[in-house]
Amino acid sequence: MSAKQTSLYETHKALGAKLVDFAGWEMPIQYENLKNEVLAVRENVGVFDVSHMGEFFVEGPEALEFVDYLVTNDIKNAALSKAIYSPLCRENGTIIDDLIVYKIANDNLMICVNASNIEKDFNWMQSHVSKFDCTLTNKSNDFSLLALQGPKSFETLCKLDLGFKVEDMDYYSIQTGTQNTLIARTGYTGEDGFEIFGDHAQIKSLWSQMMKLGVTPCGLGARDVLRLEVCYPLYGQELNDEITPLDAGLNWTVKFDKKDFIGKKFLMDYAPKYRTIKLALEKGIPRSHYAVENEDGKTIGEITSGTMSVILSKGVALARVEKNLYNNEENLIIDIRGKKYSAQINKKPFVAGGHK
Amino acid sequence: MAQVIESLKYTEDHEWVAVEGNIATLGITDFAQSSLGDIVFVELPDEDQELEATNSFGVVESIKSVSDLYTPISGKVLEKNTTLEQTPENINEDPFGSWLIKIEMTNTSELDALMDSKAYTEYCESNS
Repeated sequence: MSAKQTSLYETHKALGAKLVDFAGWEMPIQYENLKNEVLAVRENVGVFDVSHMGEFFVEGPEALEFVDYLVTNDIKNAALSKAIYSPLCRENGTIIDDLIVYKIANDNLMICVNASNIEKDFNWMQSHVSKFDCTLTNKSNDFSLLALQGPKSFETLCKLDLGFKVEDMDYYSIQTGTQNTLIARTGYTGEDGFEIFGDHAQIKSLWSQMMKLGVTPCGLGARDVLRLEVCYPLYGQELNDEITPLDAGLNWTVKFDKKDFIGKKFLMDYAPKYRTIKLALEKGIPRSHYAVENEDGKTIGEITSGTMSVILSKGVALARVEKNLYNNEENLIIDIRGKKYSAQINKKPFVAGGHK
Repeated sequence: MAQVIESLKYTEDHEWVAVEGNIATLGITDFAQSSLGDIVFVELPDEDQELEATNSFGVVESIKSVSDLYTPISGKVLEKNTTLEQTPENINEDPFGSWLIKIEMTNTSELDALMDSKAYTEYCESNS
């Protein structure tokens, strides 16, 4: 099967982007320079084409009840016009995906899911929808999506004039804009930013307007460095089909005081097997699957994501370690091609990020 | 268009080889540094280590990737460029001036398998 292309594919090619297969999509991994793309988002403003992500709509009188039952976070009591991050779990607590629910109205919710999980998520949700008076539709092919990110994303969005006051938008709030756009003050970089959903023609037009305003086009490579610097998890690395949100440090997204949700019964009594920790290295660059050892040389887990931080110019990583083997040591050892490198535990994300 | 230097020999892994007597000096090409992006880490073998042709002798890492370095030449490592361990970005700035290692060759006939600059230029064109 040939890779799918977003509506901006030709634009990326014309900009000289390096394109790679990502979750079955031919996506820009970087344009001219990854480092400059990261810096643009931390200091100025950048834009990512993330149209590969999936959009589902849940509509009907029991739409809110259904979504609230599907996911672990509290959707029911969240305010209208809010975006809510949540894991989606099985009865045994394992994570099917992590997603964002957009509470447009009580009878109209949009769910944005990872590109690699569109089919798996949709089938799962579909198998539970019949008990509720609502419909579930996969509209992923109808939408393109841009993530405008960085301290200057606010003034950029003001200039695009999508028919509402940008200053009225709080962090994680949503707005409907002109020409059927949906805008959320969300992102995956730790900086202030906006994600803009719209039809393909509208998004293509917004992209070219952003280019004229001097916004830096950024690829998925920069996006991965940015999210890792602020320690956001990525499905397939920090999160997967075999672990629960409680193993991944996502306890804040599991609301046991909700009446019911899939996985609640299991997770209530579950003692997590793993912990997710943050590691910084003075020397060496950690990468996925490198072994993490304690100072006695015993392997206690592995790196789930690692990179050279552009901001800190040192190796940073998230790692999954076995809870009963990790005794809150401040220093651990990473095995890099047979050589041992010292790593320090970070309590806080490596980079603070400037979001409100 | 990536720069290619006429007097050097080249491998399919985008390394360049300079030959002087029985000593081969290895580096990575302009094409290689450009496709890797910002180089942030280099790991090279220690002096006196014996290398065998086609084996990996080290790595170069960019922000997002790890790439093995392969030697086309068998022999003993005479010297490694320790400067690059401190300033790996030199490779991006001057790939042909930033040699990685010098090898005392044990089998100079291995050089016959390498490409000249003309063949390498064509190889790059067909690979980009």
